[in-house]
Amino acid sequence: MHEWALADAVVEAAVAALGSRDPSCLRGVNVLIGELQAIDREIFSFALETILSEKPYSPGIFHLETEKASFRCEACSREWDLEESLGITGEQREAIHFLPESAHAFIRCPACGSPDYRLQKGRGVRILSLEVDDREGCA
Amino acid sequence: MSDPRGAVVAKRLAGIRRVIAFSSAKGGVGKTMCTVVSALALAGGGQRVGILDLDMQGASAHLFLGIRPRLPEEKEGILPLPVTDGVSLMSVAPFTGERGLPLRGAEISDAILELLAVTIWGPAGLLLIDMPPGMGEEILDLARLVPRLETLVVSTPSAVSVSVVERLLSVLKELRVTVPAVIANMVQDNAGGVKDLARRAGVGRVFEVPQDPSIETALGNPGALVSSPAGKALREAMLSLGYF
Repeated sequence: MHEWALADAVVEAAVAALGSRDPSCLRGVNVLIGELQAIDREIFSFALETILSEKPYSPGIFHLETEKASFRCEACSREWDLEESLGITGEQREAIHFLPESAHAFIRCPACGSPDYRLQKGRGVRILSLEVDDREGCA
Repeated sequence: MSDPRGAVVAKRLAGIRRVIAFSSAKGGVGKTMCTVVSALALAGGGQRVGILDLDMQGASAHLFLGIRPRLPEEKEGILPLPVTDGVSLMSVAPFTGERGLPLRGAEISDAILELLAVTIWGPAGLLLIDMPPGMGEEILDLARLVPRLETLVVSTPSAVSVSVVERLLSVLKELRVTVPAVIANMVQDNAGGVKDLARRAGVGRVFEVPQDPSIETALGNPGALVSSPAGKALREAMLSLGYF
């Protein structure tokens, strides 16, 4: 599943951000999952923990939070969410899952029909913050 | 808040020996033809070649290759579409089909980063990237994310093409992107100002690819593309550049 590639990216980015600090300094990684990409949370969590288990870090440090997707039309300024993006087929949802920008091929502004809109939030996977121990050598 | 995807780009490209972008500041000079036919020629010589079509708004490598876009398979990432022996392809076409994809700049960058972060190329020896015209997000992002990127710059002998492409060569120099050669494509009598252009830009090599009407009828037929006059010229260029 392609959740594994994204989980791999999160782990690699967290490890890089920790830098030369001792692995035990890392207490938590807060991850934001964009609604648009429709990541399978269970597979993603399992992938994060499995990849992490190959490294010297404590288990259970990932905290996942979902961010709702929202769009804003450049033509008429209408803002809308994914529930209002009607008529998307299962295959199109799958395409958006793989490449969220594919949404621009399938979704149109529900007010004016324009293809010219921005995805304001809720795209894909982001690291929100790292929680690092405040003991000496970790800060 | 940070974007984790950049952290795995080098890892995804680790099995690839060379990453070569076919670029031009001018549209319609034959970048896609040069990319696809070079990939087919290299595969014919035993190389494993990935093609990454980064032309988000005009993806067409699949049309040259004669493959119908379909959603990719997943295996700890997404797998490029197998094309023919030794050649695989990734682009936006597997996701959008023949629909238009109107994207603004930041979203183009997001799509590029996503494709680089989740595509599992495997042990492809070479990755050939078909670039859109211009010097926007695609080349700027690649230069930042793929430090060992090298670029073959494509121009026709047209004075207009030469002038616009010279600006790209100047920017590539500032980006410190290696340019092993300029490809003079659609040459009828001679390469025109392309040789002088390369000399001015400090690019040591120019390869001439003839104007080739047979390419249009060879679309979708890899064998015919490689055996065309343009295909033979590109094969010689790849050989001379040491990509085999």
